[in-house]
Amino acid sequence: MMLLFWVLKYKLRCYNDYDILLFMGIIELEKRKILYKETLLCYQCAKCSSGCPLVEEMDMLPHVIIHLASLGLERSVLNSETIWICASCYACAVKCPNDIEIPNIMNRLKQMAADEGFEPKRKDVYKFHKVFTDDILRRGKVHELRIMIEYNLRLGKLFKNAMLAPKMLFKNKLHFIPPKAVKGFRKWVKKTS
Amino acid sequence: MEKDNIALYPGCSLETSSSHYLKSLRTVFSVLGIPFRIMDGWNCCGATSVKSIDYDLNLQLNHKNLALAEEQGIKELVVPCASCYHRLADAEYTLNKDEKLRTELNGKNDFTYKRQVKVRNILDFFVNVVGLDLISKNVKKPLSGLTVACYYGCLNTRVPPEQSFDTGEYPMTMDMIVKALGANVIDWSYKTDCCGASLFITVNSIAEKLVGKILKDAGLRRVDCVTVSCPMCQTNLDTKQKTIRSKNSIERPLPVPFITQLMGLAFGCNPKDLGLNKNFVPLKSILSSCSVVKNEDE
Ligand code: SF4
Ligand code: SF4
Repeated sequence: MMLLFWVLKYKLRCYNDYDILLFMGIIELEKRKILYKETLLCYQCAKCSSGCPLVEEMDMLPHVIIHLASLGLERSVLNSETIWICASCYACAVKCPNDIEIPNIMNRLKQMAADEGFEPKRKDVYKFHKVFTDDILRRGKVHELRIMIEYNLRLGKLFKNAMLAPKMLFKNKLHFIPPKAVKGFRKWVKKTS
Repeated sequence: MEKDNIALYPGCSLETSSSHYLKSLRTVFSVLGIPFRIMDGWNCCGATSVKSIDYDLNLQLNHKNLALAEEQGIKELVVPCASCYHRLADAEYTLNKDEKLRTELNGKNDFTYKRQVKVRNILDFFVNVVGLDLISKNVKKPLSGLTVACYYGCLNTRVPPEQSFDTGEYPMTMDMIVKALGANVIDWSYKTDCCGASLFITVNSIAEKLVGKILKDAGLRRVDCVTVSCPMCQTNLDTKQKTIRSKNSIERPLPVPFITQLMGLAFGCNPKDLGLNKNFVPLKSILSSCSVVKNEDE
């Protein structure tokens, strides 16, 4: 296998690794089509990584993620912390000369990771998103205090950010009573999902 | 400006944790003579969380918002929160571009989106719809003597080029508004740096580091305050500032007013109507140095 890859790449001078892998039948185009199409133009200038405010915290740089995804090897990045650490700030997307929406791909990868049963590498982040989403589906608006409490419960860290809530309650910035539900929202959710 | 077609999409945070933003918006709108109308029946935009879990659901939520706004005859949907703006603008862009998707969602969603509503960021609205002339005409107590750093954060300007009203690299709209109020603005390379957004709750150490960088530079430049237009940025820069300041050895407190709070002050509104008491870092200290409070004491 490796020999075939080597021959194709260095003897027959196929530049695009993706095409080689495709040719060798290691990846299928149909399944990977979306990520391939969206990342095809990436030429590894690494502008995305150089502009990312969170690179220090990541285990894999954004341009590496895009590269691997474009090769159809996104399975290898589903296990990374990067896709969860990404704050969706779009700094990379603005800088990318090829208009690749990197955070959208990160989101796609997050969903893929969840679908394929990968344990999220950053459970703390995943659980927050989950609690937030569930809360929205409940009444169409978020109840911030409930999210904070439920998040801590699900995380099993009761006193995470414990100083934040009383401080905000004191300023009347968090409310005990949830906001009024959006009219007909639950029905709409049931119908559309 | 056609005043009847304008409505606000407030978003969840403006109803709770950033109610002072809504309050100051209401006050500023009344000074500028714009009817303060809130869109009926809006639902949460999904923020960064829903799209991390399920992008299609996120699109549906915002498709519903847009379609509902159209039903109510709204042409300009003004969005003060940067995160809501980003989501709504993204939905607008995606749906406008992709006819197949639009028809599919229109059929599935009970609501029909006809591409008649325009999503406007609050900064875009103030500069391009209201106009700087009208703003500067209403200034009663110019903020001269106040040096302001304008902090845009990430999502205000980072939308697809077709949607954008300002450059993502070095935006100027907020600077223009602050200048119209008579204050000095600084050239600042941290304008669009990330504050960490929801990492403030999830991985606090990272967010604190990011906020620390921003505040440190603002402190070194000796600004009087850092103004923002995003509730998330405001919460992150403001709430834990004391701890962050001591970690980064920043001496002076840096108040973080919303742009509308600064506008209200310059318009001579009562601080009570601007919700100034809800800012954790009090604004009083900085305002004593400029004409606003001095005039008040006379
Ligand atoms: S900035 Fe764009 S083209 Fe450059 S490496 Fe990143 S994704 Fe690829
Ligand atoms: S969106 Fe994510 S990857 Fe891109 S710059 Fe921001 S944190 Fe980095």
